[in-house]
Amino acid sequence: MRTSFNGSSSDPRAVAYARATINLASRDVRIEDVPCRNLEDVLGGFGRSFQILAERTITHAFTPDNPLIVNTGVLTASNVMTGLRTYFSAYSPLKVSNKGLPAAMWSAGSCKFGPKLKWTGLDEVILEGRAEVPVYLVIRHSEQGPQIAFEPADDLLGLTCHEKIMWLRDRYADAHFAVIGPAGEHYEDCYIASVALSTENQLRSGDDKCRWAGRGGMGAVMGYKRLLAIVAQAPDRIAKLKPEIRDINKAASTGPGSRKFREKDKGGLGGTWSNYEPLEKFHFVPQNNFRPAGDGKPELMFRDHVQPEFVVKAESCFRCGINCHKNVYEKNADGTRGAFLAKFDYEPVNLLSTNLGIHDPRKAATLISMVDRLGMDNISLGTTISYVMDYNERHPDAPILNGATFGDFDKARELVEGAATGRFPKVGRGVKRLSESLGETGYAMHCKGLEFPAYQPDTNPGYPWAIAGGHMSMATYMALALEGNTSLDYWAKLITERGLYFVRDDLLGLCKFAGITGDHVVEGLKHESGFEMTPAELLAAVRRAFVRALWLERKQGYDRSDYTLPSEVFDRPNPNLGVPPFVTREFFSQLSDRVWAVFDREIDEMAKA
Amino acid sequence: MPLIRFTNLFAERIGGVNSVDVRATTVESALRALTDRHPNLTTLVWAKDGALNPVMVLFLNDRQLGVAEIGTSVGPGDEIDIVSALEGG
Repeated sequence: MRTSFNGSSSDPRAVAYARATINLASRDVRIEDVPCRNLEDVLGGFGRSFQILAERTITHAFTPDNPLIVNTGVLTASNVMTGLRTYFSAYSPLKVSNKGLPAAMWSAGSCKFGPKLKWTGLDEVILEGRAEVPVYLVIRHSEQGPQIAFEPADDLLGLTCHEKIMWLRDRYADAHFAVIGPAGEHYEDCYIASVALSTENQLRSGDDKCRWAGRGGMGAVMGYKRLLAIVAQAPDRIAKLKPEIRDINKAASTGPGSRKFREKDKGGLGGTWSNYEPLEKFHFVPQNNFRPAGDGKPELMFRDHVQPEFVVKAESCFRCGINCHKNVYEKNADGTRGAFLAKFDYEPVNLLSTNLGIHDPRKAATLISMVDRLGMDNISLGTTISYVMDYNERHPDAPILNGATFGDFDKARELVEGAATGRFPKVGRGVKRLSESLGETGYAMHCKGLEFPAYQPDTNPGYPWAIAGGHMSMATYMALALEGNTSLDYWAKLITERGLYFVRDDLLGLCKFAGITGDHVVEGLKHESGFEMTPAELLAAVRRAFVRALWLERKQGYDRSDYTLPSEVFDRPNPNLGVPPFVTREFFSQLSDRVWAVFDREIDEMAKA
Repeated sequence: MPLIRFTNLFAERIGGVNSVDVRATTVESALRALTDRHPNLTTLVWAKDGALNPVMVLFLNDRQLGVAEIGTSVGPGDEIDIVSALEGG
């Protein structure tokens, strides 16, 4: 990001960012400084990429015209802690309107790939077209500016994400990597393919510890483009830490905002895995395709229950003091740490164990590790497999695929492998398409084509307005457990006045787990880039970016029929939930009217502008 | 006066403020003072029966408090953190 102040340090038009546009078919490369048009351009992430996507007319995700935009946030590679995010944006094969048009989507991942990309001299890479043969890209820093090379990827074909990264590590020093796995290579049959990002821990230890841009099939778009990996090679360019930034980082790593994700002996609550306990108080932990039974079985996956059998070590992304990674290792006979098994977060643990009727941490670790190695989004895959199992339980005389039912680990494992390798395309293409092909959509747990994360839809009528995955782009998923408020007024305001701002960090390059305050963001930006704005201006930019995403959905054919919940939420209320059902058709219809009364007006104003 | 610190979940309801000084002698009275001053926070802090919201967790000077310790004495310079036990990822 280059800033040239023309009398004002708060004018977005005085800022330019460095972009490489790379045509994978012709191998043309254009590197340029691009002037920012508005504050969203300055902030970056999806705030910028969605403006680029909005200029395209795309009717199918797998076309050369669909760009894959790899970019960063304004604070990526800064000294602000967790400034590590890389964003992958494109029209998604998975998130589609009922009219069949692909929606714009982004997915974010942490660790050092983003900073390395920035240190090559680029803020953004737009990947156009489609390579004729499988390739990987090498983006290098040089004194003359970023250098870009195309390399044949024959040796990478068929390797897992981790194997690809290890192969590249052995050939490129001082570099980090973004790769796809076998799932991305089978993009036609696996729309849920993700992008894996290498980590410092992984490169050092040799353990399979990637971070993920998981949601929305960005790995499938990369696979379609026959781009198997991106290498970002540059020396670290870490500036001297300013006292103001040190204070911000101290607040982030020791303050209340990150307590949830820190270890208990570091004043924390133990990470997202510990969501099991508060959710189970209300019987809100998904079981057997989002149908909690109230039978106490989720307790079998509580961390306190699992931990004695293993060693759980809290580890971190590059220069992050939160240590949110809860990595599970074998425990040797003498109690020491053995082989790495898997990283346990609430989403993958739940969706690949409890929600499949599997209550064994070792089996959960096996499935999580498989999904990671093969390069898929564990949320989309887990939720699709739970649908398969549910369908087969309902149709014992006419099961689909391999006949998997709840609790059948071996068949779950078979579905995981088959989704990635093209054997089970009905799984790999996600639950929307699968359920529509079977004519049983009522218990297909998705909204707008994106499978639900591990929060009950009957507790979250805000799901339909999430723009890039049900929980990380609309902060309503925990509201019922937090406040127990089921009034229309509460939910309409929550969605339109608070929940949408959860995407703030998806522009900035920061991790939501740091819980950095608005004042600290503004201060960090001022000290790291020289750009000045107020917290109110920041929030206004975030809101515009969110509304632009809704406008883009409308452009791709989304209408009221897309913004709904699985019909069984309305028609088959679950008596086992710890609160009386409140998401009735009437409630949801009135809520929709209230929400759209706000958003429609803002979308219309944006469209006019 | 003790200082109550909280996350963006709270701050977004009260104009972006992430900490508040209150006059109080116990953790509980500090939280009552907080919600008296900012009624918008009441349903986050307190359950309908008047007890602490079961999803919330308290820390006093970096030490996690049990539910029964809400009556712990506090004084000037003490820091109380109230955080949600439920966040995604």
